[in-house]
Amino acid sequence: MSMRIGVVRFLGTNCDRDIYKAVEWAGHKPHWLWYADHFDSNDVDAVIVPGGFSYGDYLRSGALAAKAPVMSDLVKAADKGLPILGICNGFQILCEAGLLPGALVKNEGLKFVDRWQALKLENSCEHWGADKLQQTQFPVAHGDGRFVIDDEGLKQIQDDGQVWWTYQEGNPNGSVADIAGVMNKKKNVAALMPHPERAMAAWMGSDEGLQVFNPQ
Amino acid sequence: MNREQKLKIYRLSESEFDKICEVLGREPEGLEWALFSALWSEHCSYKSSKVHLKKFYSQSKRVLQGFGENAGVIDLGQGEKVAFKMESHNHPSYIEPYQGAATGVGGILRDIFTMGARPIALANYLCFGRPDAPRMAHLVDGVVGGIGGYGNCVGGPTITGQTEFHSSYDGNILVNALAVGYFGEKDPVVTSGAKGAGNYVVYVGAKTGRDGVHGASMASESFDEDSESKKPTVQIGDPFFEKLLIESCLEVMKKDLVVSIQDMGAAGLTSSSFEMASKGGVGFNIDLSKVPVRDSAINPEEILLSESQERMLLICEPAKFEELKAEFEKWDLDAAVVGEVKTEKTVELHWKGEKLVEIDPDVLTENAPQYNRPYESWTSPRKVNQLEPISLTASLAEERILSALGSVEGCSREWVYQQYDQRVGASTAADASEGVASVILPESGRPLGLVLGCRPYIMRMDSSVGGTDALIYPALELSAKGFEPLAITDCLNFGNPEKPELMTEFVASVESLSAACKEFDTPVISGNVSLYNETMDKNVTSTPSTGVVGLRDSWKFMPHSSFHSAGSHVVSLKFGDFKLGGLGSEVFEGKVSQFSGELNVPMLAKAAVWLRQVVCEDKIYSSRLVGKFGLGYTLARMCLGGQGFEASAEMSPADWMAENLYQVILESSETADEIASKLPDDLKDFVEVSALGKSGGSNLKLSNDINISIEALKSKYHSGWSEHFAN
Repeated sequence: MSMRIGVVRFLGTNCDRDIYKAVEWAGHKPHWLWYADHFDSNDVDAVIVPGGFSYGDYLRSGALAAKAPVMSDLVKAADKGLPILGICNGFQILCEAGLLPGALVKNEGLKFVDRWQALKLENSCEHWGADKLQQTQFPVAHGDGRFVIDDEGLKQIQDDGQVWWTYQEGNPNGSVADIAGVMNKKKNVAALMPHPERAMAAWMGSDEGLQVFNPQ
Repeated sequence: MNREQKLKIYRLSESEFDKICEVLGREPEGLEWALFSALWSEHCSYKSSKVHLKKFYSQSKRVLQGFGENAGVIDLGQGEKVAFKMESHNHPSYIEPYQGAATGVGGILRDIFTMGARPIALANYLCFGRPDAPRMAHLVDGVVGGIGGYGNCVGGPTITGQTEFHSSYDGNILVNALAVGYFGEKDPVVTSGAKGAGNYVVYVGAKTGRDGVHGASMASESFDEDSESKKPTVQIGDPFFEKLLIESCLEVMKKDLVVSIQDMGAAGLTSSSFEMASKGGVGFNIDLSKVPVRDSAINPEEILLSESQERMLLICEPAKFEELKAEFEKWDLDAAVVGEVKTEKTVELHWKGEKLVEIDPDVLTENAPQYNRPYESWTSPRKVNQLEPISLTASLAEERILSALGSVEGCSREWVYQQYDQRVGASTAADASEGVASVILPESGRPLGLVLGCRPYIMRMDSSVGGTDALIYPALELSAKGFEPLAITDCLNFGNPEKPELMTEFVASVESLSAACKEFDTPVISGNVSLYNETMDKNVTSTPSTGVVGLRDSWKFMPHSSFHSAGSHVVSLKFGDFKLGGLGSEVFEGKVSQFSGELNVPMLAKAAVWLRQVVCEDKIYSSRLVGKFGLGYTLARMCLGGQGFEASAEMSPADWMAENLYQVILESSETADEIASKLPDDLKDFVEVSALGKSGGSNLKLSNDINISIEALKSKYHSGWSEHFAN
């Protein structure tokens, strides 16, 4: 089913147009959601929070975006079960907004890392069809990608099957338990640090990212 | 203050003072000193280079906008266009590497989106000193961090780069940033000449602070012991602000709310306002007290000369101003009217109700002095009839291949490019690990290739050959991947032009670069000159860096850069007979390379066209140009993907290590003879096609005695960087 997918734009978001294009390539209809506006969750079938330096990462990655007007509606929509996907900075924003467990902090190596990264699907997320990919590679590109959570929280998300993806063949940022992506308890909110929208065609190096967006 | 002190502060010479008096008909007063200092600086006026820059081959049917605007623009056909330009930020980066490099990226991005183009690719050309030179590890770390910090945040993919090391850069590094911007069919090309009496002069972007005051004239001087004290002349960048400016400016241009626009780069408001007025043949009335400032104590001279970043000056019709303002407000930016366009061609600057200055803008821009500084014709001192033969044992050849792979000149640059977001924009098809980086054009889906050029060791060998090579090497790299080279931008980094031997190198390389551009029909559409790259009398290697853009019809049959399959034919194409000691001479024998032979540029241009045809057929699996460290090193690099090589050609160890201008390696389903049979008659004597061996296996095997495992090659190549830098 072709979906109408909301794509959130904050000031400074820089993967917004990439997500817009990826959604179109997957056969869905993208719909901009401006940070300063409110939206009706009945108008969209799903929402993606793209990556890319909202508010220049000032204060803390994702912290300022999490307080934008659009987010209050997104939090309500999440409660109602709307599928929400966060990528990279979108992951950071969803954590800051309290929609996902844990937090993302500076990479262990203290430097930005851009590379192709091997990944393993730990638990599938019914909304973002990546269950077709058990193992894949997507590019990562982040400075604050190290997922952290306390021991108790880690045990809980592992027990509840909330770990979405893990890094394989080397962890680019030193995240706890090699975690690359997580879901909330209800599994309607999911996020990952790697960029599936940068693996949408053979010329990009892989087209397996398309699977994440449920191609039509 | 007496005149002598003023000349020193404002960095003007006695003869320039005389010229100012001549154009004004009197001595300069008040603010005029600062205006002349900024706009007549080398950085803004190109006074030492202009007479030679005019020689550049700069027109072709593709050129829509050449020199004279913020960036050049070429037509790609099918409704698509690109703007691109390269610019130096050498001096600020040496003083404060992170901010110097970051603002270099910011500045070049503004040059691109000011034209109405959306940035789609960034690249950088970096020259550092020896890793153990004082401050060098810190400079490398800061520059790379600054480029990444700015470009990643703005969301411009840094898709390629070149990083060189040599002692001549110990005291003066080079940081050149390049940006490419894209116009789709409906995107307007916007220029900078002001028009329309009564139109508003509008200031947009960050508030003006004291940072970067006198930056342009600082960049026009050599360094001395005191360079540390110049830190306050370096600007501070804010990539988040830049991102907002990109989105808002592109939007107001698309909505046709802008008459003309220019970014406030070197010499800030001074250069942007005077250049816009001069280009448009109009005058301005500007009230400096309306300029948004960060610091209320700032004075008019500082406002004029501030190089605060992320600021634009634009012309807008009064009736469209409210809509324009609302558009900027949507992106959280202020737009302030600071003046008005007028018919009479003078720029008046006011401050709190008082007129500070009124001056014809042409006096500052068009009438700037031009020097034809002394130089001599080029004599190629390192040219010999025959290169001294080197005797090399097999074991020494093996050792040299490994040592080249691990050397700071030849090791992997992963540490650098992993810090850059190479894929934001989701259009990167080949990243910085490839010889030719490329992005896919949004509307037509065609790949646009980008390669940087200029090899400093060739420049040290011969300025004329080096200038030619600055085009031909990247143009052949593009051709070896099937791209047609279209146009170039350059950044001429040289030492002190007042020294005749350096001016001689400048002229020799500019002339040879231009001649090569003409033969390849790749005009120079934009660029920048950076002179006075010297510290305490020591000049950098003359380094005319280039960025060459190429186009391909489709992504189909794109050759890899490493051997791709086992058992294919590995074929050498040698163009002409030009031998050199190469980088191997410098690194292994401690002497600058000599050479024999001459470059036949017209034949090379023909060979490039033929190469492109061969490569675009479904027969070539991988291709690479033989470059630094010669044939053996190049074959070793081609093995790093995991497929080895076994030679069938029998050559001496010295021949396996030789470097030629130019030689291409192809991995093909066809034999050398089959490829040779495709040569047109006029290339048969020029191109030597020969079989080298076959791909496959887990070793680089050049002979029974030169036989290295791929694992050993990889380990050297990938560990090299960390052996030279602790970070």
